[in-house]
Amino acid sequence: MRPARWCMLALAFPASLAGQRTPREIVDHVDRMLRGNSSRAEVTMEISTAHWARSMDVAIWSLGTEYSLIRIGAPPKDAGTATLKIDNEIWNYLPRVDRTIKIPSSMMGAAWMGSHFTNDDLVKESRIIDDYEIDLSFEGARDGVDVWEFVLTPKAEAAVIWGRIEERVRRADYMPIWVHYFDERGELSRIITFSEYRRMGGRLVPTVMTVVPSDKPDESTIIRYRELEFDVGLDPSFFSLRRLRAGTR
Amino acid sequence: MNTLPWWRIGWRNLGRNRRRTLLTALGLAVGYTSVVVLTGLTNGIIDDMVENATSVITGQIAVQAPDYLPERSIYETIGGRDGVNLAPLLAALSNDPAVAAAAPRVYAGGLVSSGASTAGTLLLGIDVDREAATSRLLSALAEGRLPTAGAREVLIGRELAKQLDVAPGDELVLVAPAADGSLGNDLYSVSGIYSSGMSDLDNNYALLPIRTLQELVALDAGRVHEIALRVLDPWDAPDAAARLTTSVGPDAVSLDIRPWTTLRPELRDYATLAKSSMWILLVVVFAMAIFGVANTLLMATFERRREFALLLALGTTPRRIVAALLAEATALSLISVLVGVATSVPLIAWWRHAPLDLGSLMGDFTMAGALVRPVLRTSSPGGMYVLAAVALLATALLASLYPAFRATRVPPADTLAGR
Amino acid sequence: MERLRLLLRLALRNVRRQARRSLLTASAMVVGLALLILSRTLADGAHEQWIDSGVRLGSGHVTVQHPEFRARRSIERHVTAADREAAESALRDPHVAPLVRAVAPRIEAAALAVTPGSALPVAIIGIDPRAEPAFSEMEQRLTDGRFLEPGDRLHAFVGEALANRLQVELGHRVVLTAQTVDGAIGEQLVRLTGTFRTGIPEVDERLVFVPLATAQEWLGLGDAITSLGVLLDESWSVPNAARRLRTLMREREATAAVLTWREAMPELDAAVRMDDYGDYVFHIILFVIVALAIVNTVLMSVLYRTREFGVLQALGVRKRDGAALVVVESMILTGVSGVVGLVLGLGATWLFFRNGLDLSSLMGDQMTAAGTVIEAVFYPRFRLAQIGVSLAFVAAIGLLASLYPAYRATRIDIAEAMKFEA
Repeated sequence: MRPARWCMLALAFPASLAGQRTPREIVDHVDRMLRGNSSRAEVTMEISTAHWARSMDVAIWSLGTEYSLIRIGAPPKDAGTATLKIDNEIWNYLPRVDRTIKIPSSMMGAAWMGSHFTNDDLVKESRIIDDYEIDLSFEGARDGVDVWEFVLTPKAEAAVIWGRIEERVRRADYMPIWVHYFDERGELSRIITFSEYRRMGGRLVPTVMTVVPSDKPDESTIIRYRELEFDVGLDPSFFSLRRLRAGTR
Repeated sequence: MNTLPWWRIGWRNLGRNRRRTLLTALGLAVGYTSVVVLTGLTNGIIDDMVENATSVITGQIAVQAPDYLPERSIYETIGGRDGVNLAPLLAALSNDPAVAAAAPRVYAGGLVSSGASTAGTLLLGIDVDREAATSRLLSALAEGRLPTAGAREVLIGRELAKQLDVAPGDELVLVAPAADGSLGNDLYSVSGIYSSGMSDLDNNYALLPIRTLQELVALDAGRVHEIALRVLDPWDAPDAAARLTTSVGPDAVSLDIRPWTTLRPELRDYATLAKSSMWILLVVVFAMAIFGVANTLLMATFERRREFALLLALGTTPRRIVAALLAEATALSLISVLVGVATSVPLIAWWRHAPLDLGSLMGDFTMAGALVRPVLRTSSPGGMYVLAAVALLATALLASLYPAFRATRVPPADTLAGR
Repeated sequence: MERLRLLLRLALRNVRRQARRSLLTASAMVVGLALLILSRTLADGAHEQWIDSGVRLGSGHVTVQHPEFRARRSIERHVTAADREAAESALRDPHVAPLVRAVAPRIEAAALAVTPGSALPVAIIGIDPRAEPAFSEMEQRLTDGRFLEPGDRLHAFVGEALANRLQVELGHRVVLTAQTVDGAIGEQLVRLTGTFRTGIPEVDERLVFVPLATAQEWLGLGDAITSLGVLLDESWSVPNAARRLRTLMREREATAAVLTWREAMPELDAAVRMDDYGDYVFHIILFVIVALAIVNTVLMSVLYRTREFGVLQALGVRKRDGAALVVVESMILTGVSGVVGLVLGLGATWLFFRNGLDLSSLMGDQMTAAGTVIEAVFYPRFRLAQIGVSLAFVAAIGLLASLYPAYRATRIDIAEAMKFEA
């Protein structure tokens, strides 16, 4: 369950769920409903660190887990900067120098546009039900809300870094509340919280997502959805280097 | 003969048997010179090693913000967010007698890209003139020229140039996360290519004029990550760092001033190890020198038993004989050591200034590009001048007095009769 | 013949009768030879050990790799399975096999290591856990956990400094990302099984050892490798072994290049050459000082024999025979000293240093803080040629030093010699 996916984003539909589901099915369902098939979103990304705080307007197109295109609209200094992701690879377009740069594998660990996501986070699309064993750890009321809590344990050979992931989901509408990422010492490493559940693009979605690295609790990246559309009819040819350079209309 | 004072006899004896004097003196002088020159040479080899290792890029002392290491965060500039007034700080640091040059630096991690090739690199912002006086990296320039201050020019390593397939004059894109959170990026032209022969340097570094890099990563002109200091004798660095910490530290911004010995402990350990292993060789040579001197003098004195016997028979007291011999040995050793000093001091000085260039001796031989000179150089042997003199003097005295004592105890008639 | 026997008897008697003089002269040669042997075997040992640790840490005395690999290390420039086969069969050649101590196939690749705490560029080294211990001795740099073992798959042996920067402990996950041979990005999970420390920051902060099979599968290399390192028994058999291997590789129509360590590691080559020259200068000084001690002692003893030669001549011994006597005496002394010096030198070296000369005790405790690749313990190395050179040198000096006295013996004026000399 990688934040990348939340970042790339995020489509939901209030599912009408028949009958009892296994934890695996529930987590997979939450996973899918936030991803959808194809989507277009306008978000504001607010990043604050110990050294600076800034806000960016970002447009995101995505198709399944393989393709996404992200373009910055503001502030003016960064406007036009865009990122294309196809499978495991990332290209950045820099309007100032009018060049497209493929990110080498050695730089995948670097932060994406100063946020609390790395390039690597963008690339590593979750194969959550393939990579993790999923168990229900709690079922009942928390803070007056009826929830499930799941523990996701990575499978022995899965190429994932986390020691454990915990996720809390509202039982009523399958809305995620938070996801906690733990390292293998069992220490909390990163927290993603969801809030402001609203209907957008015809679905109920969490429209605000906050990422806090737990070693720097004063820092955060907040993603606010301003617009969201689903099933916008994109096909793989949309996600091209030409499109990366030329714009997206 | 009895009218002469004992030391006159000793002195005269030296002149009486010139061949013996010459042989003994030669042994002493060569022994002395060998030990002293060898010490100078071993010191030179180790000093050169440390010099070379620290001069290429590290510098002998690094001045940084206290929290810069080990994370090397782009925000941890000297003087914090406000930066520092560089000129007075550089002047204050250069004020120390051991510090020969000071160069400010800015570091940033980034991407360098040309055409379809992109590589992650360490961007290093330098003051070209100051840097040239501080480290040797710029002297490894192989093609083109150094970047001009203020220009959007970059100097890259040969391996990186190969990887990007660029030559001087070509354009490069540099991308680096800036200190204001934006993604700094711009076009630069390759002013030159350096070749240090060290794969890490040639692969991973791109050098820009300091202001140019500061603009790319949104740092003000007063914000630098490091000031590298050059100290001519690397072994002076720890003391100089301590001095600077007390003299410059308090009244300026908070600084962490570290000599190479703490920045690169493995190098210090290696130098210590090299020193100890050279000590073994030195002990061997010293032992041989002492042995040679002792042997020669023992031989010389033993062979003079007849002479002593005759003197005893003529009524000279044993004390006078030993005293005369003492004078003889002292005069001999002093003259020899003086000769030794007279040969070794100029030899070491000459060798220091005109080191044996192995490059020309061995033909095609370069070390780390032009950065490391393949030379055998000497450094001052320091206390060895005195130590060797004292040791050889003591050896000479003991080796000539012992047989003399023995000889004066034997009844002269026995010795003269050849018994 | 008769005269020769007489000379020999006379010389032997002289040597015995003038016990003190003989002893002093001989001792100069004995000590000189012993010290020469001691220092040369130690210096030789240290030197060889240096080359050894250098090539072990690097690519071996001889390495088989793609001809372009050295110019730019990229995974596409690998040794194909067929070439590897050819190289391995060439190494089994009866002329080559006896020279070889160990062979280690390797894969070197640049990668990104990602953990929850950080993401760092690293250098991957895929190794065969069976072949590697005899090759690189990385196992002995172990600081925690264990080295890779046969049968390991998702295991990694990592520099201590790197493990700290990645903030991982034994058993923890590290995800490695690298470009595979067909240009795609490949991910591989490994778990930290052990850490090492060499004292070299470039090594301790960058290297990640993984099992060869894991690297091959991850990077899509099949049975191919990036280099085949060959460790020989003796560094001096390198040129011979390399030449032979090249021929054998050509015969097998393999395109991979065979490089000696001097070609593959020019930095080490340069450093070793520097060390060589330092050694030469040191030994020249040592030789000079040994020669001087011997010559001095011999000449000194001769100065006082003028009278003796005079007596001999007065007794009717021919001048030529007088000279011969001096040379024979000298030969006897040199011979005896040579044997004694040899025994003493070898014996002392063996006695004191058979367990290595431990310099760490000389260096105080700061040395124990950081291990260095250069061992603090030197082992002497006995080489027949080196010992022969020292022996021949001492013998030659001993004999040469007697030529001058012999010459003087022929020039002695009886009357002058018989004068009482005070």
